[in-house]
Amino acid sequence: MRTALLAVAACALAIAVAAGQASKPAPPALPDWSGVWQMVGPTVFDRASVQPQNGRAGDVGVREYPPYTDEYEAIYKKNIERIKAGTFPDPISVCGVPHGFPRIMNVPDVYEFAITPAATYVLAENGPGILRVYTDGRKHPPAEELWGTYTGASVGRWEGDTLVFETVGLKGARDNDVIVDRTGLVLSDKSRVTTRMRKINDTMLEAQLVVEDAKALKAPWKVSKQYRKMPAGTWAWDYGCAENNRNPISGSGKTLTLGPDGKPLDKKVE
Amino acid sequence: MAFTRVVAAAALCAAAISVAPLAAHHSAAMFDDEKVLELNGTIKEVQWTNPHIWIQVVVDNNGQKTEWSLEGGSPNSLSRNGWRVTTFKAGDAVTVRLNPMKDGSAAGSFIGAKWKDTGKTIGRWE
Repeated sequence: MRTALLAVAACALAIAVAAGQASKPAPPALPDWSGVWQMVGPTVFDRASVQPQNGRAGDVGVREYPPYTDEYEAIYKKNIERIKAGTFPDPISVCGVPHGFPRIMNVPDVYEFAITPAATYVLAENGPGILRVYTDGRKHPPAEELWGTYTGASVGRWEGDTLVFETVGLKGARDNDVIVDRTGLVLSDKSRVTTRMRKINDTMLEAQLVVEDAKALKAPWKVSKQYRKMPAGTWAWDYGCAENNRNPISGSGKTLTLGPDGKPLDKKVE
Repeated sequence: MAFTRVVAAAALCAAAISVAPLAAHHSAAMFDDEKVLELNGTIKEVQWTNPHIWIQVVVDNNGQKTEWSLEGGSPNSLSRNGWRVTTFKAGDAVTVRLNPMKDGSAAGSFIGAKWKDTGKTIGRWE
């Protein structure tokens, strides 16, 4: 009799546990963005507006047309003039600062995307380049807890297979060590970006960015970037930019070229 | 017999310009991408390092030796395109093509190379 009662109790417990498990909603399936990816095209941020078409970032006379305010159009034009003079350095040439956001979505070499329920990480090989997008339900930090950083603070959510995230807390061009691309594009510390990322098909990812900036832009600036999956088994490696940087920046902003002895090969160093 | 010459062929320049630039971590303003220089020389050393590899080539011009510094892409991207740390060996006799520095310094942006003994090429070589 006692054994029978114990058996009934055990069964009841097992049923209760099973019922409890069944009532928990299954976590939503996260998309598979595994593998190694490479941005499509050159490192011009807004390929839709670049002039001349197919112009390369950093070449003289190449520019894009964001809806800049007069103040930032003037800054951009000044940067373009500095490119002409060879005195507009890329801040990353010193091998000490990250690309920042949104530039991290626009760099050469390769990418990996690590998706977990609580966060998605954009890992740019060319770096240091990590973007953390928290999807654990948190909100952006309150204003008094935020300060301008290179990649800011990103929180997001999954809408089906699309990662939607908003990035705030960017330092922009405040300290002259963040650019958007090498044509001289910059944004301000008021910039914020809404990004929608999804897989278009098995081999292509797309990021649609809407950039807003109360100081620098008169209207939202929409830019689309694509990433192509590389063959299975492709490796991403570390990128020790300071390992052998033979292109430091001179006092005038000129990018130097050092010889193997560490002395500038340039005939004129200012 | 080593020699240097500027290859002014428009087709060569167009090829050099039309291909995507090196994954440089710096402005390429110092290089003249309108000009392609061809050098015959000997590999002294390859610095297989980030952010760029550097190929050191010694050019002997009638007894006057000049060491050239040729900047390539990152080892990361080059290794994914078939390059290896052993691709060039010290002592290899090569012809190299580069976009030279605008100021005439003995350096430039690597375009391609051809080995004297095997005729094998690497990079852009048409």
